[in-house]
Amino acid sequence: MRGRRALYALLALLIMLVPLGLLSPDPAWGEWEESFYEKALGFVPEGIAKASGWHAPLPDYSVPGLGEVGGYYLSALLGVGVIAALFWLIGRGLKRGRG
Amino acid sequence: MHIPDGYLSPATCAVTWAAALPLWAVALRKVRAKLDETTLPYIASLTALSFVIMMFNIPIPGGTSGHAVGAVLLAILFGPWVAFAAVSMALLVQALLFGDGGVTTFAANALGMAAAGSFVGYWVFGALRRWRFAPFAAGYAGMAASSVVIAFLLGLQPHIAVDAQGKPLYFPFDLATTMTALVGAHLLFFAPVEGLFTQLGYTFLRRIEPELTKESA
Repeated sequence: MRGRRALYALLALLIMLVPLGLLSPDPAWGEWEESFYEKALGFVPEGIAKASGWHAPLPDYSVPGLGEVGGYYLSALLGVGVIAALFWLIGRGLKRGRG
Repeated sequence: MHIPDGYLSPATCAVTWAAALPLWAVALRKVRAKLDETTLPYIASLTALSFVIMMFNIPIPGGTSGHAVGAVLLAILFGPWVAFAAVSMALLVQALLFGDGGVTTFAANALGMAAAGSFVGYWVFGALRRWRFAPFAAGYAGMAASSVVIAFLLGLQPHIAVDAQGKPLYFPFDLATTMTALVGAHLLFFAPVEGLFTQLGYTFLRRIEPELTKESA
């Protein structure tokens, strides 16, 4: 029980500190904008330029209408909320399956 | 380390999905066996922690950044299969909601960050469990293994997919370059961070909740 509360507290603390994750202006190695490839290679590889697929509702942890920090906060809360909701559903299913 | 859509050739995506699907099937069965009223809140909060930890981008020299994953702590507490499933869930939320990592490349990202990290971390912890710093070593090794898998999949691309003029179609940098840059950065910076997180998390949980770490101790 104590361990559980401690983990929740740690989670809350990290969510509060999450704007620190924005301190780096640099992307991860390999996760560059297309302009990087243009500059480094003189062209953008076709597959990368034409990458289609999923359009995430909140790309790069940004929320329309909110600033960078506000969007990052809300994204952290939302992501944790979705994971909590999924586990809540799993737990409910588990109880039903066993009860 | 989240590979976006368009970075891997369709063949690579297909192979990674074919490899990951049966592993997820096994993982779900193992999760069902491990989950109960005691473990669920811990696994859920460690999954949420993994999601948040990946948002802490750490800048490093050379103009790039990276992050820890939090897979190894889950792996040594609840086993590698549970950790694989849990971190896969965090990665899925990142891909679908935030576009962090692609959807076609989700299997590749899960094999790298979730599977390789969890299993290697778990094995290293098992081999060194009597040592005080086994959790650190496990976190370090797990993260290093993750970076090797991701770097291999990325660096393979220019060797297998080029157009008629020899221009790479997908990720353009070769194996040697990608391995050096990505694995090097992880060995120096992000693997120690994962090691530290694993060590602190494990030591702390063992002190206040000895029951939880009994299986792994």
